[in-house]
Amino acid sequence: MNWVSENIALIVTLVLLGANILLLFPSTGRKSGIPGFLLLPVTLAGLGWVFLQPTGDIVRDLLFYMAGGTAVLGGLLMTTQRNPVYAALWFAVATLGVCGLFVINSAPFLAAVTIIVYAGAIVVTFVFVIMLAQQEQGSGYDRIPQQPFLATVLGCLLVGTMLLGIEKTFGPESSRLSVDRTALHVSSLPVENDLGSPGGVGRSLFTDYLFAVELAGTVLLVATIGAIAIAPRRPQGSL
Amino acid sequence: MSPDPSHYLVVGALLFGLGAIGFLTRRNLILMMLSSELMLHGVSVNLTAFSQYHGQHDGQALTIFVLTIAACEAGLSLAIILALYQRTRSLDIRLWTTLGEEELMPPMADSASREIEPPAEPLPKLVPAGRRPVIGADGHVVTPVLSNSQVSGKGAKA
Repeated sequence: MNWVSENIALIVTLVLLGANILLLFPSTGRKSGIPGFLLLPVTLAGLGWVFLQPTGDIVRDLLFYMAGGTAVLGGLLMTTQRNPVYAALWFAVATLGVCGLFVINSAPFLAAVTIIVYAGAIVVTFVFVIMLAQQEQGSGYDRIPQQPFLATVLGCLLVGTMLLGIEKTFGPESSRLSVDRTALHVSSLPVENDLGSPGGVGRSLFTDYLFAVELAGTVLLVATIGAIAIAPRRPQGSL
Repeated sequence: MSPDPSHYLVVGALLFGLGAIGFLTRRNLILMMLSSELMLHGVSVNLTAFSQYHGQHDGQALTIFVLTIAACEAGLSLAIILALYQRTRSLDIRLWTTLGEEELMPPMADSASREIEPPAEPLPKLVPAGRRPVIGADGHVVTPVLSNSQVSGKGAKA
C-alpha cells in the first residue's frame, strides 16, 4: 500500500496511456475512434506533467516538448491506425520527431542520416510494398488487432518498469551517476564543441570502432546478396 | 553538457513500449517490421542522450551501427515478406503460425483471415496412363487426366 501511494502518479498515468491505446484500437463493434482521439491530448499532457517537468531552459524545453510530443504521437497513431499506408506515414512522422530529439542532443549529422535512411528509403520502400499488396476493401488482418488488451497491459507494464528505473537513477533522491572522464580509456575524446559533427563522429568511428565499421560493411554486403537471393522470381510477370 | 538525460530516456522508453505493443498486436507482416523499427528509434534516442550526457561520441557511433543494421533488416525482411506474399496472397501473420502440414488449419486463424485466404490451386498429379479417372462425391474428376476413352470420344465427335 505504501508503495502504491508513493507511485500513484506513475500508475494513474500508465492506466491513462493504456486506456487511450485501447480506445484508439479499431474494433468490430465501434466504427470511429473519436473518444480515443479526444483522450489523446489529456494523455500526452499527463505524461509530460508527471515525467517531464520543465528544466528551466525555455527554448530547449519548448523544442523538446515539440519533438518528443511528435515522436510519441506518431508512435501512438502508428500502433493503432488501421490503414497500413497511414500507419507507415505516422511512422515517418515519429521518425521526424526522433530526429528533432537528435538535433537537441547535439547530433545534427545523425539526424540528417536518419531522415535520409528512414524517411527517404525505408518508409518509401515499405509503402511501396504495402500498396502492391493492398487488398480491395481493407483486409481483415488490418481491421482486427491481435490480443489488443493483453498486449497493451504488457506494454504498459514494460514502460512502467523502465520509467521506475529511470526515476530511481535520475530522480531527486538518487545518487547521481558521476562521470569520471579519466577512467574512460577512449582515444578520441571530443575536442572543443566537436560533439555530433561529421568530423567528430567519423573520428570516433574510424579509431575506436574501426573493426566494427568493417564488420558493418560486410553485414551490409551479405544482406544485399541475401535479399537478392531470397527475393521471389516472377515467372508470370506479377507480384 | 546536458544536465539530465532522464527526459530523453522517458521518451525513448515510451517509443520502445509503443513499438512493443505494435509488434504484439499487428497482424500485418510489414507493420510488424515497422513496429520493430520504432523500438530501434527508442534505443537510438537513449544512445544519443547518453552521448550528450557524457560528452562523448560513442553513443552516436553506436546509433550509426543501429541505422546500418536497421537498413539490412528492412531489405532482408521485405524480400522474405514478398516471398511469403507470393505464396498466400496475404500479409496475415496468422497464416504462418505453423510450418507443419497444410491440412492442419492454423489454430488461431479466424473467419476473417479464412475469407481472404485464396483457394489453393491443386498441384498437377501424374497417374499412369490408361486408367479411368476417379469421380469424387461432388461429381468432379478427382484426378483430371486424359484417359484413352476420353481421347477417342473427342476424336469421334470431331
